[in-house]
Amino acid sequence: MNLTVDVQENEGKSVVLLAGEIDAYTAPKLKETLLSLTEKEGNKVEVNLEQVNYMDSTGLGVFVSGLKSTKENNSELKLVQLQDRVYRLFEITGLIDVIDVDKTVQGGY
Amino acid sequence: MDFRTCVNIQKEWDIVGARQFGRDFSKKLGFGIVDQARIATAISELARNIYLYAGSGKICFDEVENVGSRGICIVAIDTGPGIKDISQVMEDGFSTSGGLGAGLPGVKRLMDEFDITSKTGEGTEIRVVKWVR
Amino acid sequence: MDAIKLDLSHYRELLKQYINTQDESALYEAEQISKRSIQHNISLEEIINTHINALEDIYPELPENIQHSMSFLLEVMISYGLALQEFQDLRETQLEIKSEISVAARMQNTLLSTVKPDVEGFDIGVVSVPANQMNGDYHHFIHHEDGTVGITVADVIGKGIPAALCMSMIKYAMESFPSEHKNPSEILESLNRVVERNVDPSMFITMFYALFNPAASTISYSSAGHEPGFYYHAADDTFEEIRAKGVVLGVTDMAQYRQYEREIHAGDMVILLTDGVTECRQGDRFIESEEVLEVIKSFSHLSAQELVENVYKHFEKLQDFHLRDDFTLIIIKKDV
Repeated sequence: MNLTVDVQENEGKSVVLLAGEIDAYTAPKLKETLLSLTEKEGNKVEVNLEQVNYMDSTGLGVFVSGLKSTKENNSELKLVQLQDRVYRLFEITGLIDVIDVDKTVQGGY
Repeated sequence: MDFRTCVNIQKEWDIVGARQFGRDFSKKLGFGIVDQARIATAISELARNIYLYAGSGKICFDEVENVGSRGICIVAIDTGPGIKDISQVMEDGFSTSGGLGAGLPGVKRLMDEFDITSKTGEGTEIRVVKWVR
Repeated sequence: MDAIKLDLSHYRELLKQYINTQDESALYEAEQISKRSIQHNISLEEIINTHINALEDIYPELPENIQHSMSFLLEVMISYGLALQEFQDLRETQLEIKSEISVAARMQNTLLSTVKPDVEGFDIGVVSVPANQMNGDYHHFIHHEDGTVGITVADVIGKGIPAALCMSMIKYAMESFPSEHKNPSEILESLNRVVERNVDPSMFITMFYALFNPAASTISYSSAGHEPGFYYHAADDTFEEIRAKGVVLGVTDMAQYRQYEREIHAGDMVILLTDGVTECRQGDRFIESEEVLEVIKSFSHLSAQELVENVYKHFEKLQDFHLRDDFTLIIIKKDV
């Protein structure tokens, strides 16, 4: 049960590369990193979940906090390249309608 | 209160000086070797706190008496940032040393009396006493 | 600190005996001393001091360098002994906290208790087990005067105490709604506003709310991002996922919920659950929902209550009796 969080600055946007599992144990670390990025006024944050094979509802909580923070700081949050299992969570919880989630592969970096 | 002796704490090395003085002083007052070691350890903690968090301060020593018993009184004084939440630093497991028995709860355990006053921005004064048994 | 001191003369005699004979029985006695010292909170440095004193009694001519080495050992042990005391005190604190939590858990059980409806023509089974002491899952039955029953199944994101506290709030919010207010979509919309205003941003709740009408044999429902349940069709022996669109409670203030309705036929089952059921894990392997359904089917000849209990026992065993998440399963069976 581990999660690596890697942040890269790329052409005016912050790209967060995640690998591993997002659960109650790893979520606090992710939350800290994510909020530090969304709290930057006007920042564009893209989270790549291609290497995330498990996420529980705690992980959803992190992204919901991130979403609320974007509204307060005029920043943007986008989730890309979700595995089916993780995507299903966003689908069931209806969060795909409020968070920008793009399941398909993003090119360019 | 006029103290017999104070040791200034500015460098890490001064911690050793304070320990040495405290050990000699407690020996003279009649403490056994276990208590001498306990007192030295308490001094270490107090002096290290000054060195790490306040930058500079002093550890003062005096003899105290109370209905026939003698004891050592040690006061650590600094003009550092002060402690915002005293009950938090007195909690077991809280100390920044990772909660390994050290820190202020450790000092309290080692000594018989413990008193702390602190003002944010002005500094901290910790007074401890141990009686000869 | 040292209410009971070590008996120096006893220690000295034992030490002498051992030095002379290397007798195992002396070592056994030493073990007893060690245990008694722990029991009576005799500090580490006190034991070493006793040893030094005994040694000096036995060998009055003890070389000075050995004496110094013993003082050195004593010094090394002071901080260690201190850490040990800290651990002991922390352990006591932990026990206190544990007992406080168990009181809170009992209180939660009372606060959130609910009565399973007894409805003619239907058989209902319920099981809800927390992973830790306090349950972050919630289920509740509201018995309306017209014979309909409101059924809530909810899951607070996260586990433990914060989740449990949140549940109590939900229950009292729901009770404050007027009694004619029983449409699932309306209830979820009102609750969403309560949660949005009152709960920490990283916290949210998934909820499935159903209004069960036994007389008409219908169930109408809405879902706020809750793990979908299943409908079992007896006619062709198949399961169907109960999909309902809607966002979790507490994320946006103006959420709207669609309401669905279906008829329950003879022999059919409505299965409501939380993700603790579908997210079961066996080691590193996830249990697929087909597997959950197979297990349900294998026990479907039993009464609804026996059925849910057996399903729970199955997954409890599969996860080595250690639940990762709160587990709630409700099954409504229509009599044939």
